[in-house]
Amino acid sequence: MSRAAQRSGATPSKRLAEDGDICPVCKSSRYLNPNMRFLVNPECYHKMCESCVDRIFSHGPAPCPIAGCRRTLRKAKFRKQTFEDIQVEREVDIRRRMAKTFNRREDDFVSLLDYNDYLEKVENFTWNLINGVDIEETEKTIAAYAEENRREISRNESVAAQEAQSRKARAAEELELIRLRREDARREDELERREKADMRRGIINKLATTDGDAASIAREGQRVVLKKSLARRAAIDKQRDNDPFAASTENGEASSGLIFKGLKKWVPPAPEKPYDPFGGWSVENEYFVLQDHYDWDWLSQAQTDIRHTAGGYDVNDYCARALCEAFSGFGVFIEDEVAGRNVGSAPSIATAAAAVTGSEKPDVNMDDIF
Amino acid sequence: MKFNIDTLPVLFPYPRIYPEQYEYMCDLKRTLDAGGHCVLEMPSGTGKTVSLLSLIVAYQQHHPEKRKLIYCSRTMSEIEKALAELKALMKYRTEQLGYEEEFRGLGLTSRKNLCLHPSVKREKSGSVVDARCRSLTAGFVKEKKERGEDVEVCVYHDNLDLLEPHNLIPPGVWTLDGLLKYGEQQKLCPYFTARRMMPFCNVIIYSYHYLLDPKIAERVSKELSKDCIVVFDEAHNIDNVCIESLSIDLTEDSLRKATRGVNNLDRKITEMKSTDAEKLQNEYAKLVEGLREADEARNEDAFMSNPTLPDDLLKEAVPGNIRRAEHFVAFLKRFIEYLKTRMKVLHVISETPPSFLNHLKELTFIERKPLRFCAERLTSLVRTLELTNIEDYQPLQEVATFATLIATYETGFLLILEPFESETATVPNPILHFTCLDAAIAIQPVFDRFSSVIITSGTMSPLDMYPKMLNFGTVIQKSYTMTLARKSFLPMVVTRGSDQGVVSSGFQIRNDPSVVRNYGNLLTEFCKLTPDGVVVFFPSYLYMESIISMWQGMGILDVVWKYKLILVETPDSQETSLALETYRTACNNGRGAVLLCVARGKVSEGIDFDHHYGRTVLCIGVPFQYTESRILKARLEFLRETYRIKENEFLSFDAMRHAAQCLGRVLRGKDDYGIMVLADKRFQKKRSQLPKWIQQALEDRYSSLSVDQAAAAAKAFLREMSVPWTRAEQEGVSTWGPEDLARHKAKMEIEEIRRLEEEAINANGAIGDVVMEDEFGGDEFDDTVLAELDV
Ligand code: SF4
Ligand SMILES: [Zn+2]
Ligand SMILES: [Zn+2]
Repeated sequence: MSRAAQRSGATPSKRLAEDGDICPVCKSSRYLNPNMRFLVNPECYHKMCESCVDRIFSHGPAPCPIAGCRRTLRKAKFRKQTFEDIQVEREVDIRRRMAKTFNRREDDFVSLLDYNDYLEKVENFTWNLINGVDIEETEKTIAAYAEENRREISRNESVAAQEAQSRKARAAEELELIRLRREDARREDELERREKADMRRGIINKLATTDGDAASIAREGQRVVLKKSLARRAAIDKQRDNDPFAASTENGEASSGLIFKGLKKWVPPAPEKPYDPFGGWSVENEYFVLQDHYDWDWLSQAQTDIRHTAGGYDVNDYCARALCEAFSGFGVFIEDEVAGRNVGSAPSIATAAAAVTGSEKPDVNMDDIF
Repeated sequence: MKFNIDTLPVLFPYPRIYPEQYEYMCDLKRTLDAGGHCVLEMPSGTGKTVSLLSLIVAYQQHHPEKRKLIYCSRTMSEIEKALAELKALMKYRTEQLGYEEEFRGLGLTSRKNLCLHPSVKREKSGSVVDARCRSLTAGFVKEKKERGEDVEVCVYHDNLDLLEPHNLIPPGVWTLDGLLKYGEQQKLCPYFTARRMMPFCNVIIYSYHYLLDPKIAERVSKELSKDCIVVFDEAHNIDNVCIESLSIDLTEDSLRKATRGVNNLDRKITEMKSTDAEKLQNEYAKLVEGLREADEARNEDAFMSNPTLPDDLLKEAVPGNIRRAEHFVAFLKRFIEYLKTRMKVLHVISETPPSFLNHLKELTFIERKPLRFCAERLTSLVRTLELTNIEDYQPLQEVATFATLIATYETGFLLILEPFESETATVPNPILHFTCLDAAIAIQPVFDRFSSVIITSGTMSPLDMYPKMLNFGTVIQKSYTMTLARKSFLPMVVTRGSDQGVVSSGFQIRNDPSVVRNYGNLLTEFCKLTPDGVVVFFPSYLYMESIISMWQGMGILDVVWKYKLILVETPDSQETSLALETYRTACNNGRGAVLLCVARGKVSEGIDFDHHYGRTVLCIGVPFQYTESRILKARLEFLRETYRIKENEFLSFDAMRHAAQCLGRVLRGKDDYGIMVLADKRFQKKRSQLPKWIQQALEDRYSSLSVDQAAAAAKAFLREMSVPWTRAEQEGVSTWGPEDLARHKAKMEIEEIRRLEEEAINANGAIGDVVMEDEFGGDEFDDTVLAELDV
């Protein structure tokens, strides 16, 4: 790449000539009015000067004054042109709209090829809109797509927004870091300069007071300073290496879809399960099954009697408890346990409980929590 | 001369060898044996190239694997010189060995220098030659021809296809001239001969760019194997070459031309759609499948190649939204329009690539990824459209290159927009600089790829700067001194005028009349006393002009005029070469002349002033870079942040390497002699940054002189030099014959034995009394410190 920048001498004058064109409405030219500004309306992108806009559209919407264009324009919509080429200006407006709808991202797709196909389709739609091919049909498809994929679109939107935010934060952070480092460097330089001056003064003093060899004194002094500066440098280097500056995030590219093939199924993350304090250990009864209903006269009454139920009395609880008590102790063999204890290494009850809690299978011994 | 280094037999094409050459070769061999990189500083005029070549060729021929040598130099003339040396060396080897070795050595330069096509070669600009050649030699042109269509082709190129691909040219060393002659005789294109024969060569000599510029390297140097020996000669500016190879500038004008190019493309696409839609469809199909140039087995005719380094190439299919030709063209249009709007801004902007990409996306919805593929997509399109007038698309290509680069690299690059040419300009004329700040980026693949990279030059001090800046490790870093039988050059530092006023080109006093007058006196004195040529270097054109006009006003030039013809270098290369020619004539006919030139100009780099062409060189002022340049500022900041090289450290290093280059201009051999004057007070402190061989000759008593003292010293020196002097006196001291070499070797051996013995003794007993090396190399400092004291 040749670095020689050829600034052609003719450029500036050309530039003036290009910009100094004439308002198509009132025919005043920039040559006469250097402050003239041109505005366009994204309805029809016809260019006219500011004063014409004021004149024609101040009293509400009016038709475009350019011959052959009958569109109704509003003053509020007029704006400054960003791009020199009005075609591009229009294109970008269309793209803005498209980008809002079609904001699928590469990770939404199974393969790169699918993503690329998606990109191409979107580009085709955009192309149609820009060049006025099958506009109606295209618009219809796009609208349908937008309707169908409302959720995905808004999701991707928020992801993009988040990304933008974090990018901004990162940029700010980086700037700050650079500023800090710059300051550090300045301080360091200052310190060094001061030290050098000190050293020089020291040497002069030494030369004045002692009668050693001048050269060796000077060398001595120099060495001290060098050592100091080396040490300082090492310290700084170390400090820099510890910079909390490792956060490098991928710059993912955002993008979007119609009925695009290869789209990954978006699975909403499974809802989080409620917290289980027993870590999966459940109190399943091994020896009995609690029935919903027991035919027991005096109990059936209590079941419906408002005096009991109002207090929160539940017959089922009662049954469960009764059964539990009845069966407690089942499957417990005291001899075995005692024998185990005699061996000496038997775990205490508490540790056994812990062990059981850890393993999936509930132990009958521990069943009795009441 | 024939001798052994360790067990390696070396044939040296001269009867005598300099001690430093021998040492240089020993170190080279050590580097090659160890397999690593090295930085070597060899005094100018001591036969660096020939030592290099004879050692490496000896090494190649001795070892069965025959590692290839890639010798990179900077300019055409240096390449030619190296080729001539190589040729002489091989001739000598043949004579000595009694048989001809199977050996090929070729040089490669641009098409412009090697073209034989009667009309193409007459083009003035290199890029036009390239473009026209491509349109004659592209693959599709040949296809068309075969189909019987009437297309223009280049016979020189087509004849090559009739030969065996590995034997386009007989073995031997071919200088560029020889290659041209052979090509003319056999009606073969020398350029493509050289290109295609590169894999079959033992030695390749070409310019840095073929290895460092990714656009070229990708095409030219791709097939070179890992065990090649790479040499960068005259490498003191290698960091700048690296940076330039990845930087790019855009102007409004180039953008306008690019727009024109896009519109042309658009038209061509429409045309092709109506006539030959199938071709576009084929291209599209290929892109969909992500087939990357599968059919481009020989892509030497590629319009442009990817400007990014091979490691950074994206190896996937072209993104969907630029797959279709018309989509891509619209994409380019949008991008160019965006750049145009950026150019309208009237204040300086410096921006990192990520921030640029962000803004771009906000405004035009161009994503980073398609941008990255720009260069490649454009190449593919151009090929599909079978465009022949490729030179029209140059600006477009530049934009695409820019796009690819900015989308590929996040760090180490900066975007700087300068709306005005200078501080005072009122009419905007913007330039968008996309500048690489990190020299290591471009050269990194070279270090990674090749096991031995040798970086050498006459002036590389301080040596450790290069490994730091270019981010690599070395096996050997060494600076050689110059052995001289008599002191044949006299470096001096002039710090004061005859009136004891300080002289300096420092900013505060540079236009001080007394300083200017003192510089004028210096010039007149040296013009009076020097026989033949005097060369004067200034830090910049601006400064030179102002001084010359002041001298004119003071009548100094009139005095100088009496003794010497005055000639001035200008930025215009044609004018300068005319001035040089006149200068040479004046020196030849005995009157002598004085050439006023610039330390960073053409003269300071490529032109030798040997013997009577340069007896005195005056370096007026320290040639610092223009520090207000935004690009330089950004680079300094980058160096500090990344490599911890301080601003001042770098600036002073850079100034001194240029000063040393200037000084080296006058001493081009051992029988040459010359005076080197550094005229600035600040040189006194920077002495230690001069190359070792100059430092060593710069005596303390000459390190701070006034103008008249310097003149007296110079007179004494010249008187000494005028004493008749025969080469015989150098024998054994600064040049060695075979006997001297044998003696030296014997001595080294004895010393080695003694050292080993001592080591053994030390190991046996006293471990305690290990002598601590002075880690700061004490003697370098005392003079400077003392010198500083008398401020
Ligand atoms: S092929 Fe060779 S001779 Fe023919 S135009 Fe190209 S460079 Fe010239
Ligand atoms: Zn108007
Ligand atoms: Zn309108």
